[in-house]
Amino acid sequence: MTDPVVAIEGLSIDYVVGAGRFRAVSDVSLEVERGHVVGIVGETGCGKSTLAQAIPRLLPEPPATIGGGRILFQGVDLVKVPLWKMPAIRGTGINMIFQEPLNSLNPAFRIYDQVAEAVHIRKVREEGRSSVARAAPGPFDYSRRPNPKPSDVWSGKVVPGGAVEEAVHRKQVDRESGVSRTELREDVLDYLRLVRINDPETILNLYPHELSGGMRQRIMIAMALSEKPSLLIADEPTSALDVTIQAQVLTLMKELIEEVNTSILFISHDLGVIAETADELGVMYAGKLVEFGPIAEVFKSPKHPYTKALLRAAPTRYKSDGPLLSIAGNVPNLSRPPPGCRFHPRCPIARPVCRVDPAPPLALIDGAAPPHRSACHFASEVEAIP
Amino acid sequence: MASTPAAPGSSRGGARAALRQAGSGALTFWRVLRANPLTMVGFIVVAMIGITAVLVIVAPHVLTPYGPDQLTTDYNQGPSWHHPAGTDGNGIDIYSETLYALPLDLAIAFAIAGAAMLGGGVLGLIAGFWDRPGTIGGAVSIVILRITDIFLAFPSLILALAIAVSLGRGVWQLIVAILITWWPFYVRLVRGETLAVKHLPYVMAARAAGVTERRIVLRHILRNVLEPVVVYFTLDIGTVLVTLSTIGFVGLGLAYPSQAEWGSMMSYYQNAGLITAAPWTVLGPGVAIFVTVLAFSLLGDGLRDILDPRSRRVLAGTGTGAIAAAAPSESASGGAGPAPAAAAEVSSPA
Repeated sequence: MTDPVVAIEGLSIDYVVGAGRFRAVSDVSLEVERGHVVGIVGETGCGKSTLAQAIPRLLPEPPATIGGGRILFQGVDLVKVPLWKMPAIRGTGINMIFQEPLNSLNPAFRIYDQVAEAVHIRKVREEGRSSVARAAPGPFDYSRRPNPKPSDVWSGKVVPGGAVEEAVHRKQVDRESGVSRTELREDVLDYLRLVRINDPETILNLYPHELSGGMRQRIMIAMALSEKPSLLIADEPTSALDVTIQAQVLTLMKELIEEVNTSILFISHDLGVIAETADELGVMYAGKLVEFGPIAEVFKSPKHPYTKALLRAAPTRYKSDGPLLSIAGNVPNLSRPPPGCRFHPRCPIARPVCRVDPAPPLALIDGAAPPHRSACHFASEVEAIP
Repeated sequence: MASTPAAPGSSRGGARAALRQAGSGALTFWRVLRANPLTMVGFIVVAMIGITAVLVIVAPHVLTPYGPDQLTTDYNQGPSWHHPAGTDGNGIDIYSETLYALPLDLAIAFAIAGAAMLGGGVLGLIAGFWDRPGTIGGAVSIVILRITDIFLAFPSLILALAIAVSLGRGVWQLIVAILITWWPFYVRLVRGETLAVKHLPYVMAARAAGVTERRIVLRHILRNVLEPVVVYFTLDIGTVLVTLSTIGFVGLGLAYPSQAEWGSMMSYYQNAGLITAAPWTVLGPGVAIFVTVLAFSLLGDGLRDILDPRSRRVLAGTGTGAIAAAAPSESASGGAGPAPAAAAEVSSPA
């Protein structure tokens, strides 16, 4: 754990609904290392999306409130940052891709306007012209990003020499920010090409409703990448897409992870998707992180009965015979969580102590070389579960 | 891929694209009009009304044979070649007088509806976007809404009449009287639309991209709220005209014959007992009100289709097929290979 981009320490998030109050995320700690992809899996309603939206402080507060903990991003505790300063951190610092690609683009604007807005935000901040970025807490040096420019990745220098000067001469420069419109357009085209969009010149002039779901999700990815975020949170980016498009988008994301040096927090309920992309895997259950470790370790020898059950329930092509397995019971209602370990009503190895004593959050498993942690009293016995 | 060979002329290409875009905008507008005959009628009549109003001001004698308040020796004549809408007891040509009233009526209607849209719209946007209870914005929002409710609680016409009485006669007094009862509707409309739009995923996506709250309101939300507001505004011009005429008709508007306004004209002739003796005196301004209101209503209904990019493409027939067909030729001109994937993937979900 040397150089985490974001370190979450004991984060709890409450929802206040009417007179009631329930803890959607309780005491979650995890770190995303630079250049790594961290996957988070769990059933519906276990707090994955709440956690994802809480990191860039996008949760509507109220009804949500941060009950405790810290979100350390580049040395700044985001929990303490006033909300009005958050735009400076979002976008270029922490960016997000949502699960609804069909509604995440503004229907009233052409693709160009939307991608250009993202590129523009980044350019203005890189040049230090943004009053918002200046207001940001902590050191934000946008020029010293390790990320390569997409134009370097692609066919070398794309912006022709002289075009910018010509643009300035023709007053094709944004008056407010001093960003060249020609340059902006070239950058937008570069990023559309980066996400493998054919004929970007035509796509630029289209409205979102004229594109397919896969195209729209790729535009969203282009927008997110064009801001060169230090951390990209992908909240089930492929869940709303059909399987073939899912594969396309996943392949694309895997390629981009290698090309553009960004850390990714990848939220999904699909173990297959996570297995394809992540370096580390976190498993959430009923608002708690129950297991965290290198993905190969977690898949090979899960140390929490819930992880084990999840892995057994995942349909694979090798188990085409026999019925699909499921985990008996349901995710508990978070307004009345069971006492002790939250998984004990569904756990095959539960003992009396589990009903009383909540397991320590993420105890280190002895002997695991890369740290592998589990929140189970009997982590060593998980292996024996059939 | 496409831009490398075309690079030296890329800025010119941008200009060309912009020109093509503007041209296609006008073409789209024309296609939408052609698809809705009623909108077309509304558009043509509104255009004619506008041209007439300008002509009446700029070159009065082109359309109107007689000057304002010009007395002729033809008293109480029915419609004829010389007097298309007849004359009144003083020998005033009703047709000319009705046309002279047009610019003033339109100006008052646009002033009222426009000011109501701007003022009410800004308040509605504020009340809709910063509505979280317990914050300063929430408190401001509650104040705005309660004041709006108070104004909405009065029957608007009665309130406008009462204010008109207390302010006295005159153009500005009339505008103020109606405006006071008019803005709350825009607050409600814009607030409702803002509330609906601000929870949509693309607003959160914009926020996640680092867009500031001010820009989210002024760009992302305003543009999506604009559409129903502009439609309502267009329909509203007709409603304001009717209210204006009503106030004039009950004798509280402008003082005809010193200031020609359709409602006051009708009121004046009705009080003079000419509604039975010389019905054309009332018919002239009456028809003018009817045609103007109807034209704006027809146009307003069709505007929705023109402003909404989704229905625009469908109606204009520049849907998926046209784009897919255009794609290869465009990429060929840019020096790139064919784009079968783009053509195949450009599809709007049903």
